[in-house]
Amino acid sequence: MAASGVALGSTDEARAAANPAARPQVRHHWVVRLTHWVNVVALGLMVTSGLRIFNAYPAFARRGESFCCYPFAGKPIPASLTFGGWLAGARNWHFAAMWLLFLNGLVYVGFIYLHGEWRDLVPRRGDIRDSWEMIKFYVFARPDHPHQGKHNALQKSAYFSMPILGALAVLTGLAIWKPVQFAPLTNLLGGYVWARYWHFLVMLGLVALTVVHVVMVFAVDPYSIRSMITGGYNEAKSPEARNARPFFWRRPTATRAEGGLES
Amino acid sequence: MNRRTFFTFGAGSIAAAALAACDSFGPKSATSLLKLAERKNEKLERWLFSDGSRNRVSAAARLSGRSFPRYFISDTIPMWDEAQRGTWRLEVGGAVRNPLSLTLEDLMKMRSVTQKVDHFCVEGWTARAEWTGVRMSEIARVSGATSDAQFVDFQSFDSGYHESWDIESALHPQTLVAYGMDRAMLGPGHGAPARVHSPVKLGYKNTKYLTRIMFMPSRAGGYWSDRGYEWYGGV
Repeated sequence: MAASGVALGSTDEARAAANPAARPQVRHHWVVRLTHWVNVVALGLMVTSGLRIFNAYPAFARRGESFCCYPFAGKPIPASLTFGGWLAGARNWHFAAMWLLFLNGLVYVGFIYLHGEWRDLVPRRGDIRDSWEMIKFYVFARPDHPHQGKHNALQKSAYFSMPILGALAVLTGLAIWKPVQFAPLTNLLGGYVWARYWHFLVMLGLVALTVVHVVMVFAVDPYSIRSMITGGYNEAKSPEARNARPFFWRRPTATRAEGGLES
Repeated sequence: MNRRTFFTFGAGSIAAAALAACDSFGPKSATSLLKLAERKNEKLERWLFSDGSRNRVSAAARLSGRSFPRYFISDTIPMWDEAQRGTWRLEVGGAVRNPLSLTLEDLMKMRSVTQKVDHFCVEGWTARAEWTGVRMSEIARVSGATSDAQFVDFQSFDSGYHESWDIESALHPQTLVAYGMDRAMLGPGHGAPARVHSPVKLGYKNTKYLTRIMFMPSRAGGYWSDRGYEWYGGV
């Protein structure tokens, strides 16, 4: 754990220095865990209220023109996936929850930058090769789980993309919120119609990443759920230790005491 | 109960409570929070607003023409019936030194501009037209709007439809009292004889079928603003 002024981090560090065996296995710092769950709420509100706004005009073309790239024009999103009740209500939710998403994102990115967690997420030179090895392992073209750090190469790229897509959601959102005050930004994105389309695609990207993430958590590493709530994690149950593929792995036979597997 | 079951139960009951407390409109208790966010957003939006901002549309861009949607709240297209109501006039009053009462001819004699701009509807669509009319800043100048004029209420003969604006947006150079559309006189479907048109406000703020412009020291709400839509509605 990198040196920092954060109270919990310093306590952990002091304890770890005093007695390495007693070092608690906190996989995710409490700031990371908190921002993760706040993000679930914020993203959920933004996507569902955004879809309700979209339903007021479920198309992209300017009036009197056509749009190349949306085959479902005129078909509204099912109401069960939307939130806010009506256009004005959904807009009010969208323009309030955007602050939750934005500020939470700032805290998360600021924290992992200052605290060092970004090192587990930034792409490195071997990541493409490692991703390929992971894919081979997942499709049974390779028998053993590739060696990994905190995350495997596929996870890393997904978790690294998330804040980038978040930033793009904010940028494209600003472009369609203020297409006159921020005209240069809107023009950069190809004008209002395209900016609205990019905003929609970024949302789809965020939803796709989230769905894959949740499926993989349950299919590969359900033990990691606890690590995102209490922070606790047993390395003996990690996907690498279990040689776990999605839906193909066995419960660890010998359950050993936590904390004793550090070395 | 161990820690894991505690958290599982905890998360489950919070989620259940949240779902029970809201229909698709969201929980009622959130209303004050949403209002707070709207007030803070308005402050930010007014701070972001620049008099120098422009909506620029290329000279070659296609106009929406007949695809430009018509909109009014009355049951039928509002038409000014001269036989019943006499000559249409645009009253300009409130915090002004020289209240005006302009006929359409008077309005057309004032310094006019023609601009091709976007129309941003709150629903998410845009349309393009070429508007001819008098800048609101010109009307404020001629009527001698005073420093008390911090807001402007645009009133209509469309069943009481009106919307009030902040003075900065009203005086933006692209905010017009328009009487022409696409090089023809404004039609009854688009707010004849005159309407407000500006790319710096969402469509619902752009009152059609204009009858009165009131410069005011305080805001006066509006038809959609009083029904849950954001009062500022800036673009």
